[in-house]
Amino acid sequence: MINTALPRSEPWGSLPGAQPVRLFTLRNAQGMRVAISDLGATLVSWHAPDRAGRLGDVLLGHDTPAEYLASTAYMGAIIGRWANRIAGARFVLDGVEYTLDRNEGPNLLHGGNSGFHRALWDVEEDGGGLVMRLQSEEGEAGFPGNVDVTVHYSLDDEGELTIDYRARSDAPTPLNLTNHAYFNLTGEPGIDIRGHVISIEADRFFEVDAALIPCRESLVAGNAFDFRQSAPIGARLDWPHEQLSLAGGFDHCYVLPGNALEGRPVREVARVYDPASGRELTVSTDQRGLQFYTGNFLSDEPGHNGSRYGRHAGFCLEAGAFPNEINRLERDHLIVRPDKPYRQVTKYRLGVAAHA
Amino acid sequence: MAAFPLKSRINETGNGTGDKHAAPTADTAYPRANPTMTKPSVPPKAHRIALLFNANKVYDREIITGVGNYLLSTRIGWDVFLEEDFRCRLTGIERFDGDGIIADFDDPAVSEALQGSPLPVVAVGSSYEDGSDYPSDVPYIATDNLKLISLAYTHLIGAGLQHFALYSLPPSPNHRWARQRELAFARLRGADGRSPEAIEDEIYRGLSTSAPSWNQAIEQLTHWLQALPKPVGIIAVTDARARHLLQACLMSGIPVPEEVAIIGIDNDPLARTLTRIPLSSVIQGTEEMGRTAAHLLHQMLHGARFGARRILVPPVGINVLESTRHRPVASPYVARARHFIRQYACQGIRTEQVADYVGVSRSSLEEHFRRELNCTIHQEILRQKLDAAKALLARRDMATAEVAIRCGFTSLQYMHAVFRRELGCTPREFQERASAPTPG
Repeated sequence: MINTALPRSEPWGSLPGAQPVRLFTLRNAQGMRVAISDLGATLVSWHAPDRAGRLGDVLLGHDTPAEYLASTAYMGAIIGRWANRIAGARFVLDGVEYTLDRNEGPNLLHGGNSGFHRALWDVEEDGGGLVMRLQSEEGEAGFPGNVDVTVHYSLDDEGELTIDYRARSDAPTPLNLTNHAYFNLTGEPGIDIRGHVISIEADRFFEVDAALIPCRESLVAGNAFDFRQSAPIGARLDWPHEQLSLAGGFDHCYVLPGNALEGRPVREVARVYDPASGRELTVSTDQRGLQFYTGNFLSDEPGHNGSRYGRHAGFCLEAGAFPNEINRLERDHLIVRPDKPYRQVTKYRLGVAAHA
Repeated sequence: MAAFPLKSRINETGNGTGDKHAAPTADTAYPRANPTMTKPSVPPKAHRIALLFNANKVYDREIITGVGNYLLSTRIGWDVFLEEDFRCRLTGIERFDGDGIIADFDDPAVSEALQGSPLPVVAVGSSYEDGSDYPSDVPYIATDNLKLISLAYTHLIGAGLQHFALYSLPPSPNHRWARQRELAFARLRGADGRSPEAIEDEIYRGLSTSAPSWNQAIEQLTHWLQALPKPVGIIAVTDARARHLLQACLMSGIPVPEEVAIIGIDNDPLARTLTRIPLSSVIQGTEEMGRTAAHLLHQMLHGARFGARRILVPPVGINVLESTRHRPVASPYVARARHFIRQYACQGIRTEQVADYVGVSRSSLEEHFRRELNCTIHQEILRQKLDAAKALLARRDMATAEVAIRCGFTSLQYMHAVFRRELGCTPREFQERASAPTPG
């Protein structure tokens, strides 16, 4: 029997300053293996069985830490302090205007110039899972407050990977974390995700402007964004819709149901099925938003085992706050304060569906 | 032209975000889409739409279901014209007093009748390898034949098979999709290094199905099957054709899936109920085809024009059943025994009868089972019965007592006990779990 209580770790190269990087592995009774690096608290690979029990890697990722540092794809990393975009790279809090890194035109994207995804996290093993810690100093990317972040990864025998995020700050600051895993359930990176069948439990989404900043809230009914009944991604990418032309595919945030500002339960919000392998991904979260991204910007990206990832080689389902939500009128719930810590729970479960 | 005045154009850009009468209720600082544009005091007149399909087939029925689902997901009210018996008749279609048509273009008569139609038309049908085979003037929603065959082929490879074949249909203008599936198969086999001649030998078209030629058709099919290298995985271009294969295998004693693994296309429940060995099948994206066609027509009714735009819809699943559960076994005794068990487990057969059929002693057959499958003959019979019971329960149209009888359990109590022991739940609990919604 494999002892599932102790995650194994191995050296995995080093950063430019010679700091060693490690790769940790979570396992379960089905033989699943999830490899996680302390660089960016990144999900590097996830080997999961198909309908015949054969293991295949369902995550896109790179082979070396150097490739992660060189890439702008944010593969599998924890994103902070702010996931997705902040328009104009600015916000006002308690009467003070804060100016942030502008790393995508005039806007902030995914934490700014440095970002949590490029940091080396401290790791502790805990009850079979991994506890990853990061201290983000006041002024990082322009945000106030010293923030202590803890991300707890755990894998159960049903194939469910739980990502439990907690954070504290010594001063009020906005915080919005996510994981930027790209999935390809076929286990074969050469096959794109157009054949995957997706359902998303949401009746509204945000339309975006040319800089991909949300500009208005729309109903999904009667258009390409309606995944309340499952549909193949490839067919929907070809439906006529100016928002799809604008973003080169899906790169849009859905408004999840049960979206009270505080105290939301973890609920199942999306499912993706690959007919070829029979693998099925289920996403559950306590967040209000779910960004559905179809890898529109991927182009000749270095991948696992020397492969290259092209357009639509993977998809992301990123749970979090709404993009640029910090610049909406109602945003108090996004502010972490000394007496009000941050918490998010998001779960990805991989299984095999009997059939469609 | 259309007999009904078009609704005021609620969607000027044709981007698919029209018809939002209901404003979302959650709190937001962003402007809502479509604030006050459509609050008609009188409901707009419904568009009158004809659906030209032969809904006696499961494929066409599911496409129509998709159209219906699209309408239900929106506030669109279409006045839908369908023939009384759900079949397609073209007589008088040029005098159809309506606003738009969605039609099955696999039927050449349909595409011909609609040529130059003044009404907006959306075509639905087969994909074609050669772009010039598509109609040049209407948007076209296609089932992606290459993806269908590729999914079936990948599945057979995954089941451990190394020889492959395709059972198609004789060429006919009404079955152009069958030819497209042959081309797809040839392309995939070619990519795997087979020569064109070798591939041609792997494709068998057989006879068209008719009562007088039935015996002859099955005879010729049996010949072809017997000549194939074994074990072989065969893709049938429809479930109806797959059923012929099963029939021929059963009649000539070829074990399925040990010697011949079979996968069809359509996931047709009727074809499944007519076969003794449950048939694996590729599930086409038919509902999505219907939704897509309805969406395009909806946009066209509001002024959008799509020219000869094509949208290919991939398959959405495989129903994996016994006919492709190929587990290579070394012992021919075990293969023959399992073939017998699969057919007759539900009729209450006993271990001795299996040994008699195979023609070896019971103890020797038990030894083979232990070595190859790590179970007893009795356990294999029970597994078959359990699988059959699970499939019937999932259909939810039969009392549990009836299921017990049909699957060869001597009593309902015994079936209960087996479910408890093997699955840790009662038949009823299993049924509840099985009927939970699944994607695709």
